[in-house]
Amino acid sequence: MISNAVLQIENLGHSYGKFKVIEDISLAIGKGEMSALIGPNGAGKTTFYNAISGKFPPTKGKVLLNNEDITGLPSHRVVDKGMCRSFQITNIFAELTVAENVFSPLIIQQNKHFKPYGNIFKDKQITEKAFHTLEQVGLADRADQVVANLAYGDKRLVEMAIVLARDPSVVLLDEPTAGMNPEETENMISLIKKLAKNSGTTFFITEHDMKVVFSLAEKIYVLHQGHLLAQGNPKEIRANEQVQEAYLGRKVHA
Amino acid sequence: MDILLLNILNGLSWGMLLFLIAVGLSTVFGVMGVLNFAHGSLFMLGAYLCMQAMQYFDSFWFGLLVGPLCAVIVGVLIEKFLLKRIYDRDVSYQLLLTFAILLILDDAVRMIWGSGYHVVDPPAILSGIMSIASQDYPVYRFFLILIGPLIGGLLWSFFHFTKWGKIIRAASFDNIMAEGVGINVPLIYTAVFALGTWLAAFGGALAAPLQSLNPSMGEKIIIESFIVVVVGGMGSFPGAFVGALLLGMLESFGPVFAGRAQMALPYILLAVILLIKPNGLFRKGV
Amino acid sequence: MNLTQRHNLLGPALLTLALLLAPLVIPIYWTMILSEILIMGLMAVSFNLLLGYTGLLSFGQGAFFGLGSYSAALMLQAGYQNLFIILLVGMLVALIAALVVGFFSVRLDEIFFAMITLGFGMLFFSIAHNWLEVTGGSDGLPVFNLPSLSLFGLQLTFYAPVNMYYLVFVIVLIGMILLWLIVHSPFGLVLKALRENKHRVSFIGGNVKTLRIVAFAISGAFTGLAGVLFCLFNNMATPEFMHWSFSAKPVIMSVIGGTSVFLGPLFGAGIFFVLEQLIIQYTENWMLFLGIFLVPIVLFFPQGVFGTLRNKFFKRGEK
Repeated sequence: MISNAVLQIENLGHSYGKFKVIEDISLAIGKGEMSALIGPNGAGKTTFYNAISGKFPPTKGKVLLNNEDITGLPSHRVVDKGMCRSFQITNIFAELTVAENVFSPLIIQQNKHFKPYGNIFKDKQITEKAFHTLEQVGLADRADQVVANLAYGDKRLVEMAIVLARDPSVVLLDEPTAGMNPEETENMISLIKKLAKNSGTTFFITEHDMKVVFSLAEKIYVLHQGHLLAQGNPKEIRANEQVQEAYLGRKVHA
Repeated sequence: MDILLLNILNGLSWGMLLFLIAVGLSTVFGVMGVLNFAHGSLFMLGAYLCMQAMQYFDSFWFGLLVGPLCAVIVGVLIEKFLLKRIYDRDVSYQLLLTFAILLILDDAVRMIWGSGYHVVDPPAILSGIMSIASQDYPVYRFFLILIGPLIGGLLWSFFHFTKWGKIIRAASFDNIMAEGVGINVPLIYTAVFALGTWLAAFGGALAAPLQSLNPSMGEKIIIESFIVVVVGGMGSFPGAFVGALLLGMLESFGPVFAGRAQMALPYILLAVILLIKPNGLFRKGV
Repeated sequence: MNLTQRHNLLGPALLTLALLLAPLVIPIYWTMILSEILIMGLMAVSFNLLLGYTGLLSFGQGAFFGLGSYSAALMLQAGYQNLFIILLVGMLVALIAALVVGFFSVRLDEIFFAMITLGFGMLFFSIAHNWLEVTGGSDGLPVFNLPSLSLFGLQLTFYAPVNMYYLVFVIVLIGMILLWLIVHSPFGLVLKALRENKHRVSFIGGNVKTLRIVAFAISGAFTGLAGVLFCLFNNMATPEFMHWSFSAKPVIMSVIGGTSVFLGPLFGAGIFFVLEQLIIQYTENWMLFLGIFLVPIVLFFPQGVFGTLRNKFFKRGEK
């Protein structure tokens, strides 16, 4: 069945032996539809992301990206197909410069990663795209700096730039505002809104910060004890009693 | 039939000795995460110090007692002043530092005792030939077959049934938690390294009557210990036992079946295990 | 945005000039030592492609060095005299072996990678040591006829130490330039990313195993080249170069010199040999002093001698 969904998950499940971490998860994300996955710790969000982004194949179910079955593909192939993910704990190339961090995914995308000669800085295809990405996240003026020396918030921006450099169809953002102060969080929210508007990339976010979720998401999926408890727009989710009981009830209303 | 029994007994006796040495290496790795390249040098040091003590006390048993203990002193100094500084560093630095210690110890032995061979006789009670199933066999080698499981059993009981043994195992799994609970992790590390040193040195002292002492004793044994530890599983006790017996048998039967190629067998075993079961035959765990 | 890559080539250029002129001013004995330094320097720099750039500690590079040596010796014994063919075949043999060893080894990490490369190295050693018919066993293979080179109508022979030195110098220089180009290429950048965070590389689309195998193969090929040169220099191929104690040398040299600087391992090789020459004049216990020298380097100079000096006196720039 051909659908309009850019990312479609069908009955996804993952178990370790008899222990079912996530089960029976189905969702369909339309192109450009900003979605969020929420749920308490231990609900299975990380396992879900790992299973669809290629860290390990899910024990059950299917993952379809742009109508193509990518279930169980290793992570580098998933990236090839157009889905990239960011990491909650900043996962970048610390001793390289900001520019080099963004060059790396581009080199691989343009299949130049086995080219054993040539000055990257003279390669317009790479440098122009990298410059464009860095401008979008606001790091263009710090391109020459070694990433390890940057402030935490800027490191998260590098993380974002790496993910976006290849112009993926879908980006999985794993807690993009983790560890940020309120000002940095506001900036990240505006950045994500801007990026979603200006690019063809569809964002799928997991977050703990409800304020972020409700400011950004058009559609929210609630994960609870490995199952999809509810899905809907922010208003519906707020009003959903099951969700309130399981999750929102413990949080201060946004 | 004779050859079969002879080779089995040889494989067992060498395997048991290898077990004692390798289990020290494995325990140090399991608890502290350091693979000690100089472990073979400590083995050699134990042998030489035993020989030296034997000359003073005119008794193998005193040599067996005193020699390894002196080696432990060296081991503790190494841990306190050198190893301590690199626990959190990259593995390449650990390998290099312990390699540097190997160079120092090996040459120090050469300087003190000379490059020549030394011969150590087994004690009177254990010398001579005995009869096992109508096969003549040296008493000393049979003694090794017995002492291996004895020490091994004592060690295993220590780690599983005593308070300190359990504390050490706790420190090996999660040393931050262990520290948080008030366990003196640095002290544990020193104690474990001392134990590892003792096992290597004791193994060396036991090996002294078996092979002539020379300053390159350490080189051969460290590779064999590595293989045992990798085959059995890093940090695994039963793994070291099985791995050592496997290697002992391989070395014993190797020349019979493989002729000249027998030198390559241990490395083939290493490669096969690393490719099929890189964590070793037994999973990690002290 | 100012995206430039400035290379400080003045230092290497001066070094090249110094090495070019050295035999004119130093005694023959030291010219021979310098030849060894260059050969081992090439081995160490190609080793560092793995350690400093890809983040892999290989403890079995001696196998490829030895393969280069033996293939050269065998070809010379069989009567082949073409220098280029001998160099290339040596590299090719080492390259193929490195592809095979690499294919099996790169699935492992850190200590296990070191262990399996050590194991493979010793496997090659045991073959070379025992396969008397082919390798001459522990005696090795002697080489009596060195190849000569016809260049611009001149017939160059390499029996004289100074001639051998210049042969080594030219080949090593070419090797270093090629390695330098590789390290500063897109491939080189991705290797550095591998060292920094191999996990992330797969999440930007890179196949970690394939990248590592290619790096391992390239490193092996240049190590084999060093082996060919050493066979010519030493008039001999012996199994001891495949032993793990020899494989430890490029590791030591790289760490002494500094793994984060391209020429660090070459300086490490220099320091190693100079130290050896100085110490053996006073005592035969050179291993002891090497160990004593290594300890503070490992403990207090993680960037190596050269790396630490460079960080002290120059701002962070490109290598």
